[in-house]
Amino acid sequence: MVMKRLRWVYIALVLVFLYAPIVVLIAYSFNASETRAVWGGLSLRWYAELFRDKGIMDALYVTVSVALLATMAATVLGTLAAIGIHSMRSGMRAVFMNVTNLPMLTPDIVTGVSLMALFIFAKLPRGYGTMLLAHITFDTPYVIFSVLPRLKRMNKHLYEAALDLGATPSRALVRVILPEISPGMVTGALLAFTMSLDDFVISYFTSVRTANLSVLIYSMTRRKVPPTINALSAIMFVTVLSLLLLVNRRDARSDKSKLKGA
Amino acid sequence: MSVRRGNGPGLRRSMFAAPYGLWMLIFTMAPIFIIVFYAFTIGGKPTLENFKLFLEPEFVGILTFSLWLAFLCTVICLVFGYPTALFLASRDLKRSAMMAVLFVIPMWMNFLLRTYAWMSLLEDTGLINRFLTFIGVGRKKLMYTENAVLFGLVYNFLPFMIFPIYSVLKRSDLHLEEAAQDLGANGWQVFLKVTLPLSLPGVVSGVSMVFMPAVTTFVIPRLLGGGSFMMFGDLIENQFLTTGDWNFGSALSLIMMALILISLGFLNNANPEGEEGALW
Amino acid sequence: MVEDFHLIELENVTKVFDGVNALSRINLYIRRREFVTLLGPSGCGKSTTLRLIGGFETPTEGRVLFEGADITNVPPYRRRVNTVFQKYALFPHLNVFDNIAFGLKIAKVSRADIKRRVGAMLELVGLVGYEKRSADALSGGQQQRVAIARALVNEPEVLLLDEPLGALDLRLRKDMQLELKNMQQRLGITFLYVTHDQEEALTMSDTIVVMRDGCIQQIGTPKSIYDEPKNAFVADFIGESNILDATMIKDERVLFCEREFACVDRGFGEMNPVDVVLRPEDIQVVAPDQGQLAGVVRSALFKGVHYEMIIDVGCALLKVHSTVMQPEGAQVGVSVVPFNIHIMRKYAAPCGGAA
Repeated sequence: MVMKRLRWVYIALVLVFLYAPIVVLIAYSFNASETRAVWGGLSLRWYAELFRDKGIMDALYVTVSVALLATMAATVLGTLAAIGIHSMRSGMRAVFMNVTNLPMLTPDIVTGVSLMALFIFAKLPRGYGTMLLAHITFDTPYVIFSVLPRLKRMNKHLYEAALDLGATPSRALVRVILPEISPGMVTGALLAFTMSLDDFVISYFTSVRTANLSVLIYSMTRRKVPPTINALSAIMFVTVLSLLLLVNRRDARSDKSKLKGA
Repeated sequence: MSVRRGNGPGLRRSMFAAPYGLWMLIFTMAPIFIIVFYAFTIGGKPTLENFKLFLEPEFVGILTFSLWLAFLCTVICLVFGYPTALFLASRDLKRSAMMAVLFVIPMWMNFLLRTYAWMSLLEDTGLINRFLTFIGVGRKKLMYTENAVLFGLVYNFLPFMIFPIYSVLKRSDLHLEEAAQDLGANGWQVFLKVTLPLSLPGVVSGVSMVFMPAVTTFVIPRLLGGGSFMMFGDLIENQFLTTGDWNFGSALSLIMMALILISLGFLNNANPEGEEGALW
Repeated sequence: MVEDFHLIELENVTKVFDGVNALSRINLYIRRREFVTLLGPSGCGKSTTLRLIGGFETPTEGRVLFEGADITNVPPYRRRVNTVFQKYALFPHLNVFDNIAFGLKIAKVSRADIKRRVGAMLELVGLVGYEKRSADALSGGQQQRVAIARALVNEPEVLLLDEPLGALDLRLRKDMQLELKNMQQRLGITFLYVTHDQEEALTMSDTIVVMRDGCIQQIGTPKSIYDEPKNAFVADFIGESNILDATMIKDERVLFCEREFACVDRGFGEMNPVDVVLRPEDIQVVAPDQGQLAGVVRSALFKGVHYEMIIDVGCALLKVHSTVMQPEGAQVGVSVVPFNIHIMRKYAAPCGGAA
């Protein structure tokens, strides 16, 4: 019984440690005062100013649009790749899997500088486009790693059964394989999307003319951070929270249907 | 009867991976090739000078400092993370999955924002110092110290230690523990002889998920250390963006990659399950 | 019932996987309305044969004919055959109705017709009322029925079944065997059935094709294969048997266990080594001094209908089925009538004198 209490206290302490900065940010976002040193009472002032701040709004647009576009491209590219890799012979498959693993093992900073080197070498001006290319590159493996297990788990005769019942290969793909792997595609896409949203290091190196939120915040923390950032954090936190709840509901559901099958 | 892949449709379907293969060739392989080229040349001439330069005490010092901080961070994460994972995975904990989600949520918040929040807590006029002053301990210098960097590392990477251990423990077969009890093991013995060895794969991937990014980070020491503590990541960033010495920067990048691949290989060997996807 | 028309023919079909022959020069025809079973141990090529006919594999050499036309390179979706897969391969994202309707929808059958035909199938397999169930939520036996309905609803010329009962428990398997046989006779559809279970093959088939190592060993009716196995492999695989080394002295005389026996087989030459097959139920247990061979009972097990005894006759251990039990250690005599002594050539290469 005492053990059990202690356990709860311990878990609570770790949670406090993890949440403290987030709580602080959200609290400050409602602070009417300009400096953190003074509590000037409750206010939504910084939220209002946030939406008037062109720099932040531009960065927000870049962040979200790059994440959306990169996710879509990565989902298409990664799903096709997963289907291809799944039907490869083992030697070829090993090559592809290693190349896919590489960006996940490479430290972000090395991925960042090497892509920067590529873009400079190719004389591509580093901006929105190069950032998008970089994001697609590091997003795609997440999709592949989410889709492949679904393909492996799939009854390997399903595709043949569809052909047997008169479906052409492309119809079999659309009507049988895609529905089967769609949960993996969604999980992979959500993973890719959040990775894109959160990315700092690679964006930092692959874009100079366009800043996403992470890069903007970084440049702000080196000078003076306006309180509007607190409002932004609160909004981002709520957004991420709802995204996460969405994913979790999905997972819970697919877990349940798995149980039914067993 | 085993069913073998037909040669007809199989070959054609593997072509689905062709666009991705091309993409990776351009955006993964080519950049690495460029880095390798720069690392082994100066002004286009082949040389090992870039690697020799690294051997200077200043740079080796930075590497050892990075490794040391990352090591401390990993140990601290393990010490605090293991019990957390163990408690989270305990069978009598209701809604254990819900609890686990609580530990992920902060991770999904932009890490720059979180680190920035710690800055506002730790700074000289921050909440913590004001509290310390209030209770009479007096103001302490918390920001821009080595400990602040370490603190920031632990804060950012602790969940990466908790999760792999948690998921391995959660997956492990309850019957094994019951069998151990059946064979007369008491609580501690069950933990030492069954639970702990079973959780090792989780520990291994937790360690790699904390140690690798801790060695390579450059933002956290920049923000919490105020630039006064150079880590290996900073050094690379400097070469590319400040000094403009791409050759040396590339050599450093290769050294870092080698370091990571070697330690990963080492960790994977230590991993009794040897799982392919153990990294995450 | 079985028509003489050759619906499907395999001509000299060879299939090589990674340099290994899965099938070696197979020749086989299947007549309309016939229930043909491919029987053999795993790896014998029976599933590969089925997959060649289904269109999932193409032969390395040889041709597949359907109603006399070459369909070797026709893809599965243009073949008038349907398959019941080993683990059913029901589409998990579709319910029972949509699973069965899949082929009809692809063929753009009108909605009303789909409804009627799927309904009829559900009735046939006894799953009326299960339309909206998810395929995952069914028991093994029910999934099996859906898989059969899904294939049959397309009115195939041939139904290919790849070990369809393998995943069911013994009791259910026996019931399904009878049901499948009934269905086949009622619908008048040709069945090509793959199994490694000899009892299943004997119960259901019009024709059994025994395979081993990618070669056909023997083709015949269940009775002819059981009674006159062509070689020791077939004898051993179909039913239980005692196989003894023997020498053919001359026609109708064979020597084994140092004793000469009368038999009914001819044409094995003189003083040639052969195999002798004795079915356990054909061996009679008699008083010690009245048998052709004398022996000792080593073990006796009650098997429900009969006792299974192992009798040591010195040169061999004979498996004997009898309704009368002799206790362990009892001295007994055994004898076999000439008609029940089956002579076979010594088993040589797997593709030896087969088919």
